[in-house]
Amino acid sequence: MADDHAHISALFSVLASVLPLITFAAILFFAKKGKGSILALCNISISFLLSVLLFFWVWNKGEIHAQLDWFAVGDIRFTAGVLLNNLSVLMMVLISGIALLVHIYSLQYMKNDEHLNRYWAYLGLFCFSMLSLVIADNLLLVYMFWELVGFSSYLLIGFWFTRDTATLANKKAFIVNRIGDLGFLTGLMILFTQFKTLDIVQLFGTKGLIVKSEIVNGLWQTGVGEVPAVWLTVAGIALFFGAAAKSAQFPLHTWLPDAMEGPTSVSSLIHAATMVAAGVFLIARVYPIFDNTALTVITIVGTFTAFMAATIALVQYDIKKLLAFSTISQLGFMMVAMGTGAVSAGIFHLATHAFFKCLLFLAAGAVIHELHHAKGKYLLDFDVQDIRNMGGLKKYMQVTFYTMLVASMALAGLPFTSGFLSKDAILVHAFEWSDSKSGVLKFVPYVALITSWLTAFYIFRLIFMVFFKEIRLNNKFGLSISVNEAPKVMVLPLIILACFCLFPLFSLDPFSAGNSWLFTGLNSETQPLDNSLHLLIPVPVTAGSLIVIFIAYKRFANRARPETEPNSGLEKFLYNQWYFNSFYKAAAVNPITFISNLTHKFDNAVIDGIVNLIGRVGVIFAGISALVDRFIVDGLVNGAGILAKRIGSFTRHLQTGRVQHYLLTMLLVVLTFVIVKYFSGAI
Amino acid sequence: MSLLSLIIFIPALAAVIILLLPARLRHLYKFVALAVGVVQLLISLFIYLNFKNTSAGINTESGFQFIEKTHWIGLDLGSLGRLQIDYFLGIDGLSMPFLFLTSLVMFVAVLSSWEIQTNLKGYFSLLLLLNMAVMGVFTALDFFLFYIFYELMLLPLYFLIGMWGGVRREYAAIKFFLYTLFGSVFMLLIMVGLYFSVIDPANGNHTFSMINMMNPANYVKGSIFSAAGVQELFGVPARLVAFAVLFVAFAIKVPIVPLHTWLPDAHVEAPTPVSIILAGILLKIGGYGILRVCYSIFPEAAVHFSWWIGLIGVVSILYGALNALAQTDLKRLIAYSSVSHMGFVLLGFASGTVEGISGGLMQMISHGLLSSMLFFLVGVVYERVQDRYIPNFRGLALIMPKYTVFIMIAFFASLGLPGFSAFIGEAFSLIGAFTSESVNGFIPRWMAICGSVGILLSAAYLLWTLQRMFFGQTRLAGGDAWFEKLKDINVRETVALVPLSVMALALGILPFLAFDKMNASVVQLVNLLLKK
Repeated sequence: MADDHAHISALFSVLASVLPLITFAAILFFAKKGKGSILALCNISISFLLSVLLFFWVWNKGEIHAQLDWFAVGDIRFTAGVLLNNLSVLMMVLISGIALLVHIYSLQYMKNDEHLNRYWAYLGLFCFSMLSLVIADNLLLVYMFWELVGFSSYLLIGFWFTRDTATLANKKAFIVNRIGDLGFLTGLMILFTQFKTLDIVQLFGTKGLIVKSEIVNGLWQTGVGEVPAVWLTVAGIALFFGAAAKSAQFPLHTWLPDAMEGPTSVSSLIHAATMVAAGVFLIARVYPIFDNTALTVITIVGTFTAFMAATIALVQYDIKKLLAFSTISQLGFMMVAMGTGAVSAGIFHLATHAFFKCLLFLAAGAVIHELHHAKGKYLLDFDVQDIRNMGGLKKYMQVTFYTMLVASMALAGLPFTSGFLSKDAILVHAFEWSDSKSGVLKFVPYVALITSWLTAFYIFRLIFMVFFKEIRLNNKFGLSISVNEAPKVMVLPLIILACFCLFPLFSLDPFSAGNSWLFTGLNSETQPLDNSLHLLIPVPVTAGSLIVIFIAYKRFANRARPETEPNSGLEKFLYNQWYFNSFYKAAAVNPITFISNLTHKFDNAVIDGIVNLIGRVGVIFAGISALVDRFIVDGLVNGAGILAKRIGSFTRHLQTGRVQHYLLTMLLVVLTFVIVKYFSGAI
Repeated sequence: MSLLSLIIFIPALAAVIILLLPARLRHLYKFVALAVGVVQLLISLFIYLNFKNTSAGINTESGFQFIEKTHWIGLDLGSLGRLQIDYFLGIDGLSMPFLFLTSLVMFVAVLSSWEIQTNLKGYFSLLLLLNMAVMGVFTALDFFLFYIFYELMLLPLYFLIGMWGGVRREYAAIKFFLYTLFGSVFMLLIMVGLYFSVIDPANGNHTFSMINMMNPANYVKGSIFSAAGVQELFGVPARLVAFAVLFVAFAIKVPIVPLHTWLPDAHVEAPTPVSIILAGILLKIGGYGILRVCYSIFPEAAVHFSWWIGLIGVVSILYGALNALAQTDLKRLIAYSSVSHMGFVLLGFASGTVEGISGGLMQMISHGLLSSMLFFLVGVVYERVQDRYIPNFRGLALIMPKYTVFIMIAFFASLGLPGFSAFIGEAFSLIGAFTSESVNGFIPRWMAICGSVGILLSAAYLLWTLQRMFFGQTRLAGGDAWFEKLKDINVRETVALVPLSVMALALGILPFLAFDKMNASVVQLVNLLLKK
């Protein structure tokens, strides 16, 4: 019976992830231009229902692991299978749920696009890869879906492929992710060398091979392999490097802001809620591999990324870019949680963040959509994503405003929101963790704290600039523009998501993450949160946030004059994203192009030069031997002939044909003979 | 039933038919060639289905399947014994996949020959002759027979490039010819040396049988290549010299850096179908020869040189990729990408692990499918506008959407997107290379890590090309005339591209389709290397 249950669950999970793939294939092969909406919506709905069903079957009821033989190399068998535990079913519901909402939203948002069919197909491919990624039970499979997720993201970022910025952005996204994948692959190779298996349960289970392996005399011994202990650290850092690319962590974060070239609905689903969280998910899946050094690296990178991205978000004007940096910063928070050992808090934040960030993007999309509409209506030319052109929209787009406000509060971590619960958990844990640390690591929680204040500032700057005061376009163009609320199909997902940004869905106690069902369900380590810290920390966090929100209100809400370009040095530095892009171009892209041109010239001039030289030398030798042949060998042959001829023509003169000459000659010969004979005796 | 002889000589028969058909029926030639392709595909499918997975082959004659063995040339040489050359065919897990690959690639090559206009009789009979030679190389187990087929490939290729090629076709043809001949001349010497060192235990005669050459017990004591390895040439053990010479001969075909420069020229000047065959099959003969001849006959030398072979692999991967990044001619770019991708094969082989060698073989099959596809796709554009200079095209996705789909499949499959065969090939080559240091110590771990950078570079040059040629607003150097000419792909082209894409996808998702067939042989080969 239990076995049947496991089989059915496994089957359902596979079905849930394959349905969107069917969308992809069916639409790609059969759908006409602009069709496919219904199929896509149906399939993702069923996926969602199956995920919910599975969630209730699996959550807190023990994990389900089913697998099939896949292929064998030598005597090592690779299996493909499904691993359903609390983490994976949570991710499934999260992904399919948000995907469903984004599908609904897209019905309207993408309605007039002539390649709508492609949009649905790509979205289907993404949902398939993402859902499969979270249920796969084997790291090789995870890696495969990991790259497929990147591929579908590539397709969607470049959805409007006639725009040069979009095609540059998707190339960049794929290549930066590839750099991370090299890390993932390295990690995979190390694990395979050491354990001869890539099965997640066997490797990372509670009694798994990693736990059993030990470090003896500086060697990491696993019973199968034995390598210097440093490879354990390398494996952890390499896997984190892979995760860092997907989750846009420093130094591989630069692709995410550019990825905003895709449709906003895509940014919302992929580049805010789900795919970018895959890195955090991966870390949770392979957690036992990380040793202290690797965890420290994760913490530091996470802290730095969170802070850096938040500072950049302070001064951005493009609404989507701003939100992208916010995403990077929040992912940094999750990484901090992972690095400090608060896995459940990190995943908790992943879940809450998915909802409020998705909502922020969809609301931003609604604003963009309506401004775009106005742009067409009044025949104006302005950037619809620039918040300097917005303002006063509260009056026209009430639902959008209030839902976005809720999401912003959640992002800022104000009480009664979901964000408060998860961020609080991370901060509390970070403070607790830093107690036993020294040096730079002591600063980690404080930087996180400052970052959370910066978060409150930039997101409310956005809210105030977009929704308060007057539409700045009126000033700019001297018109009186009115904007409509977004259509109902777009507003509906906003409202649903807004509900998920509040505390009751996650915890009945609005002030304690420790009592949240989600938190306890994930908390396998059963570390209760330290209660004294838990009471102390939220106070300064919230107080500080409220203060900066007030400052933001003062600065931006009543501002009539349009913002100008950033002018001070620091502002420019932040606005240009700490100049990472320029730095990478100068330090990596240009040198590689230079080297590739160099090798090209080398190939042509030197290697081919040598080959041609050998050829030419051959020809020259051939020429010399031809000369030798002609003048020496043939010369000898001909010389012999000529000599014979010369002798012949000389002797020919002797042949006169006259008897007198012959007789004379004979007489001379006889005479000579006689003389010689006669005198020879005398001598 | 002599299936192997059938698969080899059907093309020869068809070539004779084509030669006999009168010129007014010349429109039928291509159908004759196509029919050969179909029949060969069916035969290789039959062989595939009836192939026993557990039978290893390599150095045991009984492990080979579909064996055909008859005496062919026998000469009494008096005191020197008997000259014995056998007509000896057979396949194992190393060669069987390539029969299928050859059939498929030849079929596609014929389909892409549709637009050839001049001297059809010569063209198709040469193509079929080439087909026969390639099939022979993959099945021959007698070194002499192998050598004959190996040399026989050169002749048709020389003429196919030299007569139906591009502007610099003569230069390219001669370069190709001399490069390859350079390798094979020395191969002949080694072959003769081996002949005089090895005795067939069955009758005491000297023999050319490669399988007998693999058993150290068959070597005459004190002979030049005697397994004891006492003889020296130029102060180096003779067996090492022999390995190196044979390796260079095959590696030129693979090709390796720095012996690769024939390849870009040959590819660029060759007509599309010949490029397809070159990249799809002929490069594989290099890799196949390395395993079948070098590794199997001189295993201890293979171990001795593994570090260098690995290094050559890594250098080829990186150097080829960097060069590809700098190209502006699409066909040249793909030619250099071949150099890079074939580097993974050598890296995998050098590791001497089951994973690495399986990965290398998979990479060869995969590259056979994908490079055929890529060259076919380049041919599509070139055929329409006689141009393939990357900056001359932009936004092709708008006017040729179906074509772009296939380009995307081929590009992403080549850059190792999981789900396609190249991913499995590259991943396992690298995994094998990485494990090597722990398992047998053949090659160090850094080689695997450096090799993986090649995956990154291949993403860079392929995506860059996609972005430059296919995305953006359409802008063509040839203006409106090109707009007219650049029609989307037709049915014939689709028929050629679909099986290649499907195969690449199938091997990527279900790698056991190939791995199961090769496994026993690869394990046996690794045991041979490790002297187990």
